[in-house]
Amino acid sequence: MLDRRSCSLAVLVAAGGAFVLVLATQTTAQSPAQVPALKTPWGEPDLQGIWTVEYDTPLQRSPRFANQEFFTEAQRAEFDRQRSQIRGRDERAERGSETDVAGAYNDVFGAMKRTGKRTSAVIDPPDGRIPPLTPAAQKMAAEDRAFRLALMRATQTCKQQLPGCAGGKYDPQPAVELRDVLPSHYNVARMNRHNDPEDGALADRCLTIGLPEFGAGNGGGSFRRIVQTPGGIAIYYDVGQGQGWQRNIVMNGSPHLPAHIRQWFGDSRGHWDGNTLVVDVTNFSAKSDYRGSRENLHLLERWTRTSPTTLEYIVTIEDPTVWTRPWTVTQEFTRQSEQENRIYYEPRCIEGNIGYPTVLKAARQEDRELAEGRGPDPLTKDNASGGAAVDPLMQ
Amino acid sequence: MLDRRSGSMITVAIAAAAFGALIAASITPTIGQAPAASTARIEGRPNLSGIWQANNEANWDLQAHAARPAAVTQQGIYPYDYARVPAAPVLALGAAGAVPGSLGVVQGDGQIPYKPEALSIKKENAERWIDRDPELKCYLPGIPRAMYLPHPFEITQSTNKVHIAYSFSNTARTIHLDKVDDPPDDTWMGHSVGRWEGDALVVDVTHFNDRTWFDRAGNHHSDALHLVERFSLMSPDIIQYDVTIEDPKVFTRPWRIAMPIYRRVEPNMQLLEFRCNEFVEEFMYGNLRKQPLVKHWEGDTMTIDVTRKVPPGDSFYEWYR
Repeated sequence: MLDRRSCSLAVLVAAGGAFVLVLATQTTAQSPAQVPALKTPWGEPDLQGIWTVEYDTPLQRSPRFANQEFFTEAQRAEFDRQRSQIRGRDERAERGSETDVAGAYNDVFGAMKRTGKRTSAVIDPPDGRIPPLTPAAQKMAAEDRAFRLALMRATQTCKQQLPGCAGGKYDPQPAVELRDVLPSHYNVARMNRHNDPEDGALADRCLTIGLPEFGAGNGGGSFRRIVQTPGGIAIYYDVGQGQGWQRNIVMNGSPHLPAHIRQWFGDSRGHWDGNTLVVDVTNFSAKSDYRGSRENLHLLERWTRTSPTTLEYIVTIEDPTVWTRPWTVTQEFTRQSEQENRIYYEPRCIEGNIGYPTVLKAARQEDRELAEGRGPDPLTKDNASGGAAVDPLMQ
Repeated sequence: MLDRRSGSMITVAIAAAAFGALIAASITPTIGQAPAASTARIEGRPNLSGIWQANNEANWDLQAHAARPAAVTQQGIYPYDYARVPAAPVLALGAAGAVPGSLGVVQGDGQIPYKPEALSIKKENAERWIDRDPELKCYLPGIPRAMYLPHPFEITQSTNKVHIAYSFSNTARTIHLDKVDDPPDDTWMGHSVGRWEGDALVVDVTHFNDRTWFDRAGNHHSDALHLVERFSLMSPDIIQYDVTIEDPKVFTRPWRIAMPIYRRVEPNMQLLEFRCNEFVEEFMYGNLRKQPLVKHWEGDTMTIDVTRKVPPGDSFYEWYR
């Protein structure tokens, strides 16, 4: 009897010892050659590291590939060939003309990645397209588009039918009736008018934050650093030329924030579903905007480590006031070198944002010149659209 | 004999089992409980994870100082420094615009060993606080100031990284416990490389620019700033935070600040955003509006007329009717 008891205790001793041993083994620093464990030492799935999407994938599927979920290797190679020849903003317009961006942002800023496997990041609906907008959202989007195009209509951009005037028509008569009219909703995008800081795009105001975050420009250029602790997850987003923001996931099973507390990055509450981190995000601010979805945006994210170097991200996007049904996007992140640490982990933007006050200052100068009859109407100049090139992959 | 032996074995076994259980407990995430309440160790090290906040007056002035009537004051009817009165733009805030006193956090003699020219910059900074303090513009606060701003921050401690997310300005820093290349440029938040010395996390912070301040009193540094921070748990809910500050361009010798930083133990505590760069747009760009909201701008100079209308029923004597 006694022997049996001491024997079973001995097993326990061994178990306890084994635990210590396992810990000791994992404590010794992993050499880079070793495959990193897919679990943290405390047993949770390990999503840690610096992650980015290494390929460009269109968000929506082009009608040209309607029944094709994946590109063929030949199609990818052809896209890579075509896209590597785009000169984009390195292609200058006539020197001294208004449409000449004079290399302010050359092609380094719009660098493209290789073409990815998928014909669309949208995986549901199965046609790879974002579902139709609700009638109310369509009306709102149409009003907003009409407002912005009207402010552009007397510019060279519209006269030359450049991409910045897509959907609009040239009219030499500036929309003076809109000079001091507020847009119907809190503005988040560039408009061809700079009466106030709020007339600027959120990015120009150093207010880039937002979920879902699929990377700036052509789908690239953003990184995440994930750090975990038992029962806690921190994600730092490095986006858009040094802007960035921090998101900490609440993992204690508590309900969302009270409805009147709204945040630019929403309220993220997560739990583990097997090896997958599931995060429910609500409580977005009415000032945030994802394709027309604001305070009613609801995201359900699933983060799964699929191999030592890959992390699968699947997000279902829902807002019944904007889309006729929920839709789902996937991205595959690739792990980046910890040692090189190529992440711009401090979100410095406002600290060096000379550009934005200068735009406002120049607008006041133009107002004065117009009032004194010394200069053209600012509405005949394009101070809103960029000279971005057309990317065949994103058409 | 056998009995005695098995008896002692039992003791050992219980001790070992308890030890094993302790470790098992330390690596098991506490379900349904805020990480803030976790007292676990991670790989044998104290777990600093959780939401923390300093509760002191260091952000007003690292040094000992008496309370004063307002963050911005003007000469009153007497010519003495101690008899100054609140001035616009904080006048209308009443006692909420006043500065609380403190015995300071500078260790030793309480002095900051400035070189003479650096001391005169400090004095000028203090006089022009409202024009110069990066905090007012919502610029990145730098280290150590981010640690004692009146805003919470969250530590996420892993094995190779200790990540700190700050509510203020939505910023963050990663303390690298593993090998990492230097940053390509100087930084506002510094480059943090840490190591464990027993139960203390010791962090070397370098690669600063010269833009951040230590406090609202205008205490400043150069790009040669080098910090050695020590984080040690005094108790599960208190970190003793100790910093040695070295900057040969500005100070004649290294000096030290120290303070406790407290866990935010509220069960529903979470880090909320404080996107102050949105809040300061009026302050920074208000003069560039087509129709200014503040009516008196002369170039970059804002003149605020303080109009405080007391609504009926709210004047002092009415309360005692």
